[in-house]
Amino acid sequence: MDKRLRNALTGLTAKDAERRRRAMEPFVRATFGMFIKYLYRYLGNEVECEDVLEDVYADIWEKPERLRNITSEKQLLKTVYLYYMRNRLREVYRRINRNLYLSQNSLKDLIAPEIGALEMVSSSELQDILSQAMGKLKARERRAIELWMEGASNRAIANELKTTVGAVKMLEFRTILKLRKMLCYYNRED
Amino acid sequence: MSDRNREIHELLVDYADALRDGCIPAFLKSLTREEAERIASSWEFWDATEISRILNGVGFADKAVAPNVSLFISRVDAEIASRLKKSKASPPGKRRTRTRSAAKRENRT
Repeated sequence: MDKRLRNALTGLTAKDAERRRRAMEPFVRATFGMFIKYLYRYLGNEVECEDVLEDVYADIWEKPERLRNITSEKQLLKTVYLYYMRNRLREVYRRINRNLYLSQNSLKDLIAPEIGALEMVSSSELQDILSQAMGKLKARERRAIELWMEGASNRAIANELKTTVGAVKMLEFRTILKLRKMLCYYNRED
Repeated sequence: MSDRNREIHELLVDYADALRDGCIPAFLKSLTREEAERIASSWEFWDATEISRILNGVGFADKAVAPNVSLFISRVDAEIASRLKKSKASPPGKRRTRTRSAAKRENRT
């Protein structure tokens, strides 16, 4: 683990609240990029991500006990997700759920799920295994996912692939399931 | 997202689109009772959501990294200061746990 982050963690787990407050700045500087990118997976909205993360850091300052004995960035991210982020993520859409048909449990699973096999793989590792898996897809499947990742609408993807929107949705769904199978296999190999 | 009684593949693609475009609440509100039940009982949907999140993270998470972290740090510090003030002002048992930014977020949704 980076020395700067290790020092910040030591200050952050101190008993004195003022010392913890002073340690927060280097801790945020060392972890902001990692945490916000991770949160973005679940929210897809940078404003929401910053709001949630603000509360997460304040929660860490208030109750830092879980961060004692952290030895790696991976362990830090896992601990922060399980004990701080998930609670905050669950609060994000709690209020609108009064008017939803989705059950509270399904909403929780959608917004703040259990950690899946691939959730803790770092983004650079993920990029590598994703590009390997994409290389094994059929050309049409790969093009659909590439266009989606460029931000294209389903209509635009359908135009590009000369098909209907309904067919594009089915193609994307099947390709995503295919990718899941492949990525789990890569993950197990690692 | 206006179609009613969408099949599971359409629901997954609409969820992935909503995640990518940062409008999950619109997706959640668009669900009918039947669609919500369909989602709850489909393992394929839950399997696919994990990959949707990963694609979203790999493709778009970089844009969430604010160029000015100092501004964000001052927000965190203000939140900590506010909690410190609250903890000094009232005994722990009577403190409200909901924070200012959580209330702000709820108002927005």
